[in-house]
Amino acid sequence: MTLERLHEAYASALSGLEVSDTSRPLRDAAMDSFGKLGYPSRRREDWRYTDLKPISAGNFDPTPAIPNSDHIKHAHQLLDESLLDPNVSPMIFVDGQPEPGTHPPELSGLTVLGPEQTWEQIGNLQRKELYERHPLAALNTAFASSETLIRVSEGSKIDQPLHLVFITVESGKVTQPRILIDMPQDSSLTVVQHFIGEDTAAGWTNLVTQITQDERSNLTLYRVQEHGRAQFHTELLESKLARDAHIKLGYVDLGGSLIRNDVQIDLAEPGAVCELFGVFLTSHGQHVDNHTRIDHSAPQTTSREAFRGIIGERGRGVFNGKVVVHRGAEGTDAEQSSDNLLLSERGEIDTKPELEIYTDAVKCAHGATVGELDPDQLFYMRSRGIDEGTAKGLLTFAFANDVLRRIELPEVRKRVASSVAGELPDYDSWGGLL
Amino acid sequence: MKNETLLCIDDLHARVEDRMILNGLNLEVPAGEVHAIMGPNASGKSTLAQVLAGHDNYEVTSGSIRFLGKDLLSLSPEERAREGLFLAFQYPVEIPGVNNAYLLKAALNAHRTAKGIPEVDAFEFMRLIKDKMELMEMSTDFLNRSVNQGFSGGEKKRNEILQMLMLEPRLAVLDETDSGLDVDALKVVATGINSLRDPERATILVTHYERLLELVVPDRVHVLAEGTILKSGNHELARTLDKRGYDWVRDESASA
Repeated sequence: MTLERLHEAYASALSGLEVSDTSRPLRDAAMDSFGKLGYPSRRREDWRYTDLKPISAGNFDPTPAIPNSDHIKHAHQLLDESLLDPNVSPMIFVDGQPEPGTHPPELSGLTVLGPEQTWEQIGNLQRKELYERHPLAALNTAFASSETLIRVSEGSKIDQPLHLVFITVESGKVTQPRILIDMPQDSSLTVVQHFIGEDTAAGWTNLVTQITQDERSNLTLYRVQEHGRAQFHTELLESKLARDAHIKLGYVDLGGSLIRNDVQIDLAEPGAVCELFGVFLTSHGQHVDNHTRIDHSAPQTTSREAFRGIIGERGRGVFNGKVVVHRGAEGTDAEQSSDNLLLSERGEIDTKPELEIYTDAVKCAHGATVGELDPDQLFYMRSRGIDEGTAKGLLTFAFANDVLRRIELPEVRKRVASSVAGELPDYDSWGGLL
Repeated sequence: MKNETLLCIDDLHARVEDRMILNGLNLEVPAGEVHAIMGPNASGKSTLAQVLAGHDNYEVTSGSIRFLGKDLLSLSPEERAREGLFLAFQYPVEIPGVNNAYLLKAALNAHRTAKGIPEVDAFEFMRLIKDKMELMEMSTDFLNRSVNQGFSGGEKKRNEILQMLMLEPRLAVLDETDSGLDVDALKVVATGINSLRDPERATILVTHYERLLELVVPDRVHVLAEGTILKSGNHELARTLDKRGYDWVRDESASA
């Protein structure tokens, strides 16, 4: 999908999309930006380890899909097998389009708005450096579909989680969902973004999630990526937090072929807190890249970040976590860790924690480890009669589960933990224990 | 009639890296007995325990160990455990992310499979463990906690004994299970150990202190120093060691 092809597709896509007057200038400007920026190349420091050539050279169709009834039926079959929580009805998106007739759950204090209001909000949020920071966000803006604005009313605390599930059925498509979440003062909400798809469907998902958080708002978001094995996935999630706002983000990557997650959090006012954790499994030619940036722009802000990678045979992992403590952000408290388990000599992980501190009187800690299983733990378990394969399987699972415990939705936590377990070596010998 | 010999160690030499720790150790433990192994620091007590369990940091350079008539040294750690050997660790390992329930169920089922009996299901497992947890005064939330993570020293030791009670070994080797315990915890641990005493089983208590031996009365007491058993006796020997220390044993052995 060369730039030329994208420009052509853009012209024809506009007729396929019901393009509103509000979105048109934003889309045009974004297409123009992407035309100038192009795909991020490996010459950019933040793209050094991830080559997008399989995408830029891929023969994808960027025109948003219009799923037919067979596709939708197929999507539901996939969904029945992989619901994260059987007690919650998710909002369903098939190949980047909201399922016709899908309704957001009716929860007091929660409004889910469609394209028109979403584009107004995109216009409001427009920060011109966004595309520079993440060129793929420009492409998303140009071609965005599934535009959804999730808005909580001021002071509303929504107990029930909102699940969005994105299902890829058709092969060769580019889907570019645009999700906005608006959290006014004292609001609270949990969102789950779940990606699933057919193993045979090779396409590209390019997601942008933009969040605004007013004072004391509290957002929890879990992004569970279980794409089919041939799917490409790139995404940007960004949030800016006002005074005493709290964001908790959990990333789980199990599927897909080439994955690049960008998370950019700005702790813009005092007391803002970011908790960010992730677990990824990569093997058999999969490439998973987590790029995170947390800006401590104000005093007394806190961040806690922990990523764990399990890299198997021919798996490739990248972690780059930048924490910037800006001038004036006294009393910043930042902790970051990236721990990685290499299960095979034929796996590779590049982990790079980056700490930039421009002020005094801060508390920052970061650490990165790449290793094998702990021999003392292994011996302890074997000394109880547990065979080596089972002990290794359980310890590998434990390594991931130690972070997955932070998922506060019990059904989702159990379901994700069991999917992680299912991907690990010798599952048959120990999976029954869980 | 002499009971069946469970463990027979003959002229055992073992080292860690280039340092010889055990220098010709002999020990025989018949079924039905409790043996205490006492000795000064760095005498080789913990090395003996680790060699018995099969830790690969320790290299046996010569000598043999027979357990239930089998060549113990040819077995993997898990095979030893399934044959009925249990080591209570001096420093039980923390395993974040592995629930106690997972560990215990995996261990129990590995033992059962090796014996050709059906695995336990969740219900049967709970039934088996409930009384033992009460005996060890452990709260019910314990099973869902990670193995030894955030446990106090006393909790870790009680957990070792709980595992032992679940696995019902023929030979339990308890490596300083009494160290770091207050009087009440020591009593709980001793109750656990005594509950498994029977004519079929044996216990080796590796300890510094005589106080555990007042609660779990040993049949034999051995003094281990410089990698070998210098002296053996009955419970009275332990009391003497408690009063007089170890130097007299060394002197006696040097002049002999």
